[in-house]
Amino acid sequence: MNGKQNLTPTLLRIGSVIAGLLIWHFVATVVINDTAILVSPLIVVTKAYEMLVTTGELYPHLFASSQIFFWGFVLAIVVGVPLGFVMALSVVVRDYVNPWMTTLYTAPRIAFAPVLLLWFGIGAGSKIAIVFLGCVFPILINSYFGMRVVNREYVELARSFRLNRWALFSKILLPASIPFILAGVRLSIGRGLTGVAIAEWFGATEGLGYLVFFAGQTLNVPILFVGVATFAVLGVIGFELVRRFENFMTPWRKSSQGV
Amino acid sequence: MAGPVLELKNLHKELPRKDSEPFQIFKNLNLSLRDGEFVSIVGPSGCGKTTMLRVINGLMPRSAGEIFIDGKSSKDLDHQLVMGFVFQGASLLPWRTSLKNVLLGLEGRVKGVAEAEQIARKYLDLVGLSGFENNYPHELSGGMQQRVNLARALAVDPRILLMDEPFAALDAQTRNFMQLELLRIWAETKKTVIFVTHMIAEAILLSDRVIVFTHRPGTIRSEFKVPLGRPRSMEMRSDPRFLELENVIWKQIEEEVNSSGGFANQ
Repeated sequence: MNGKQNLTPTLLRIGSVIAGLLIWHFVATVVINDTAILVSPLIVVTKAYEMLVTTGELYPHLFASSQIFFWGFVLAIVVGVPLGFVMALSVVVRDYVNPWMTTLYTAPRIAFAPVLLLWFGIGAGSKIAIVFLGCVFPILINSYFGMRVVNREYVELARSFRLNRWALFSKILLPASIPFILAGVRLSIGRGLTGVAIAEWFGATEGLGYLVFFAGQTLNVPILFVGVATFAVLGVIGFELVRRFENFMTPWRKSSQGV
Repeated sequence: MAGPVLELKNLHKELPRKDSEPFQIFKNLNLSLRDGEFVSIVGPSGCGKTTMLRVINGLMPRSAGEIFIDGKSSKDLDHQLVMGFVFQGASLLPWRTSLKNVLLGLEGRVKGVAEAEQIARKYLDLVGLSGFENNYPHELSGGMQQRVNLARALAVDPRILLMDEPFAALDAQTRNFMQLELLRIWAETKKTVIFVTHMIAEAILLSDRVIVFTHRPGTIRSEFKVPLGRPRSMEMRSDPRFLELENVIWKQIEEEVNSSGGFANQ
């Protein structure tokens, strides 16, 4: 792919962001014109600058949320990928895990939050558990699915070369599943951030979720939007990092641009 | 080596069915190949010729009969790599480069990474792909992919090469080139080959012997020694002996198709 072909999508993306911000600004200042309901992105940026540079008050929240997200996310990968593999390779395990997976996956996570709070207390444990619950299922399901749909020809190829079970796993099944796993990881970022927000609404004293919740309660619209925007930026950064990691891990695929 | 390299004795394959007799795929297969022989199998589609290759290679279990390789039962040789299989489709692993694809069968069998790589490079060179070691399959044309496929099967130095319609997905021109390339490579490696194809002309051009299968359940209907010298060339396709053989084989396959209920039943 050469530079010229890459230019147009990049311009379109930048244009889309600028247009969105302009419309937001217009709606906030002209249509609504009430800072108690909606503020212009300019005010949000000013406030964010203040909280990041002048007072630095955003950092503790950012740090607290990042930490909860990180551990929940990592735990989800550590549990989800192997469990997905085991489910794909063993019918017994699949049938055993399936009802639980379906129940937990489809039930609204927010309903679990108070229960987890009850079990793990208001410390980091319950928050990490909520993030974990959000992240683990896309990863688990994709790891399972990725290994289930491996081309039969590849498995026969392994057989024709008399590869042993470990070589079949490490040389065929695992590399064939990686794109699926990483797609699951990418999906789990948004769900994980939702988990952070939910977790910090209940009995937290810091974190972006707490910041948003608190600002909403006290009708501090600029801070509310700074919190929401920070979540959005974290999501975009996380998504992009995983996408780059995908391209790095799977150079044999034509690079996956955008979604 | 005096005895046959590959010998099939009363090989039989059927699939069990619910509420009815087992489904017979092929039966009473008796075949023997001498060292370095190139034998093609042709027959009406669905006659079990591909299944036969898979049973010989152990990708599917046999229902009855024996397979001997250099006089030893294939069951005793299962852990060894005595056969190379060239698949019909794109069976290259997309996440491996050409070199790594060829290395697949060598890893863990050849001591030392450098040595294995050296062998892989040698076979890539043999199939005419020097310089494409680091390309991924999606960067190669269909013909080049099948060259890698062939190099991969040959690299483990198998006693027998089993080829399942390897050129079926290629366009006519590439297919002709690949047929000549295969003959060149075969002459250099002196492998014993079973080549399954649905194209009679391809079978004649390549083979020492052409075996015609009956319709299902497939068994050997007839076999022909190809009355042409080597090396073969594309011009031989207009040789009267070539054309006559092609005609005879076509008539037989036509009879098989008709006696199974015609093309409408295929």
